[in-house]
Amino acid sequence: MSQVTDTRTAISVQDVSVAFDGTEVLRSLSLSLEQGGRLGILGPAAGGKSVLLKLLVGLVAPDAGRVHILGTDISRGKEKTLMRVRRDVGMLFQNYALFDFMTVGENVAFPLARLGETEDDEIADRVSARLKAVGLAGSEAKMPSELSGGMKKRVGIARATIARPALLLYDEPTAGLDPVTTSKMYELIAADQADTGCTVVAVSSDVGALMNFSTELALVHEGSVRYRGPSHAISKSEDALVRQFVSGDDAGPL
Amino acid sequence: MLGDVTISAIGRGTLFAWRELGGITILAGQVLRALLPPRLDGPELFRNLYRMGNRSLPIIALTAFFVGGIMVIQAGVLVKQLNAAGLVGWGAGYAIFREVGPMLIALMFSGRVGSNNTAELATMTVTEQLDGLRALAIDPIPYLVVPRVIAMTVSLLCLVVLGNLIALYGGAFFAMFLLDLEFSTLYYSLVDNIGWLDFVHGAIKAAVFGSAIAMTSCYFGISVRGGAVGVGKAVNAAVVAAAISIVTLDFLLTAVLP
Repeated sequence: MSQVTDTRTAISVQDVSVAFDGTEVLRSLSLSLEQGGRLGILGPAAGGKSVLLKLLVGLVAPDAGRVHILGTDISRGKEKTLMRVRRDVGMLFQNYALFDFMTVGENVAFPLARLGETEDDEIADRVSARLKAVGLAGSEAKMPSELSGGMKKRVGIARATIARPALLLYDEPTAGLDPVTTSKMYELIAADQADTGCTVVAVSSDVGALMNFSTELALVHEGSVRYRGPSHAISKSEDALVRQFVSGDDAGPL
Repeated sequence: MLGDVTISAIGRGTLFAWRELGGITILAGQVLRALLPPRLDGPELFRNLYRMGNRSLPIIALTAFFVGGIMVIQAGVLVKQLNAAGLVGWGAGYAIFREVGPMLIALMFSGRVGSNNTAELATMTVTEQLDGLRALAIDPIPYLVVPRVIAMTVSLLCLVVLGNLIALYGGAFFAMFLLDLEFSTLYYSLVDNIGWLDFVHGAIKAAVFGSAIAMTSCYFGISVRGGAVGVGKAVNAAVVAAAISIVTLDFLLTAVLP
């Protein structure tokens, strides 16, 4: 269990560039977030949002620039450093990334079980509580293949949060969920954050829900940050591209 | 112009082959590093031993039984012409232990277990399950690859030993019913001429083939790119690479081993 106890910067990304097969996905991107912050990342599709999240957990290495997570430099991609940092990070993947050879219960229990610091009874209790919190009480014995996309997403949220990590990264946490469940999921994420003081970064295409949830927003377009500031001010941005994306108008630079 | 195209194709093919060979070698190094000291996931190892070894036994046994029969039928024509019934047991045993058993069972194992392993790992890769493990501070090499490499090596060794015995029984069965040979003739021909070295020769080959199938199938599984199309290509590449590895290693081992 990791509780945030000071005011260090949780995330610091400085002039980071990432390219795949010669195509630049992130371009000199800089971003920072204080511990305990709640940042929403939005932007047009294929703009580099998911790559940015993977960069924050060391699944993508920067070609240039520096990435500090919870005070540790992970830019060099050293395996031992990455493993240490990842113990304090929870991540929900866009495609759930549930282990299909494990049951739902085993999936959710996995972050606790691999640490080996929690008794089996307590793990079982916490798995039940997490599944109940995401509206899937009693689903422990099911296999991921038996679940719908929305249910898999909720299992992914339960797995990401069960070890109460200091930094939580959500990639499209509400994709495939109905509006009521979307509200409930954001309420759950906010309640968890209030409970543990963790830092939350969420990527979503659901602009309205993300604006309501986040205290701060960043709009990423073509690998660069086009807006970084309070959620309530994004619709008044001087950048026409940012205003168009938020309003959803046809006319504009996008 | 045609010459340029041909040279270019050969160059691309060579670079591709060396790149894949390099990747498999690096993976082999990672597997060895993970085994020093051994950090095995017991349940994952036994799960793989069961589904790769135990569940392959019926098809391997069936194949081996008829392979033994084929050996005897092919030898039967010469045996009758030369009146050399005393050589049937030796001939079948020598070929089965040293060559036909390990190679045919390895190719069968590659088709059934290796391709399945590649498909499974490749699907896990394209659905971000391997990234999911890494994000949870679990290295997929010791957790997923090492148990599979051990399970496939041990399974193929055991299957070849069992398969060879079944092939011998198959050979004896067909020899008695198709060539009218006595079981005792076959038995003494075998035990008088086949030594433990013949058995060890085949066993070493089986273990090496098992490792090769495991490494190629795991490598193409975890290095896959793209979605469903990528998974299909990875399985295809793994089966081809395993077959080439088996034949090449068989040649080298036959030349080196006593």
